[in-house]
Amino acid sequence: MIVAVHRPHSSPSSRGVAETAAAPQWRVVFLNDAVTRMSYAVMVLRKLFGFDEATATKHMLEAHEQGRSIVWVGLRESAEAYVFSLQQWHLSATLESDEKS
Amino acid sequence: MKRVEVRLSITAVAPLLDLIKSVADELRVNLAVPLALSDADAELASVWNEDLLASQRDDCDRLFSLFDQEFFSEGVVAFDRDNAEPVLRACAALRLRFRATHLAKVPDDTIEALEASSTMGDLAETVQKAFACFLFLDELQKIILKYLDPMAVEDDE
Repeated sequence: MIVAVHRPHSSPSSRGVAETAAAPQWRVVFLNDAVTRMSYAVMVLRKLFGFDEATATKHMLEAHEQGRSIVWVGLRESAEAYVFSLQQWHLSATLESDEKS
Repeated sequence: MKRVEVRLSITAVAPLLDLIKSVADELRVNLAVPLALSDADAELASVWNEDLLASQRDDCDRLFSLFDQEFFSEGVVAFDRDNAEPVLRACAALRLRFRATHLAKVPDDTIEALEASSTMGDLAETVQKAFACFLFLDELQKIILKYLDPMAVEDDE
């Protein structure tokens, strides 16, 4: 079984310049659903990404209101592990190339 | 997390278990949340699908292990650090599956209103039991979330 290794949260703003320039970046996009309890989604986002309560809540509300929220940007391998972990917690998520914007 | 024992109404919960079990059986071969990967990631999706199904099956098995002899004699289920998260995930998966199948024809706003009032409203008899399961699984989630983070559930209310 694939297991996502918890890494310290790395926000887009904290990425190293060298990493940004060297490798393609991928987004982890958290998608809304109308069933899942909000506190559950916040707990999972905190657990998987190391967000504080306010950041996790912001992403949850963004997904709730806009249908999606970009919760992480970085290397493909790590992004895959995060999407897998979100799916394991039954939160819908997808991968996007950061070059789309 | 310390061990937490919760006393449930056997007469209210036991009649729901057969239906919950039948939905859990569906989750042995169907993901609660379909993968949302692009066509380019089809190979990845295929590999993940099997791993996610295995995880989902394990979680549902952990949920049903709560309903043992102690539950049927005393009405007690117990959570601890080993089973809290798997049971939490199982409840999430089962609620999603109930919503997508047995409750698929009930509009979102009706579900929200009935959840808020914890009543059956004007639901057809055929879906009342499914909705009772949906509410029960939500209550289990609330109990576990409350013990994982006492402030968390208040934000939902």
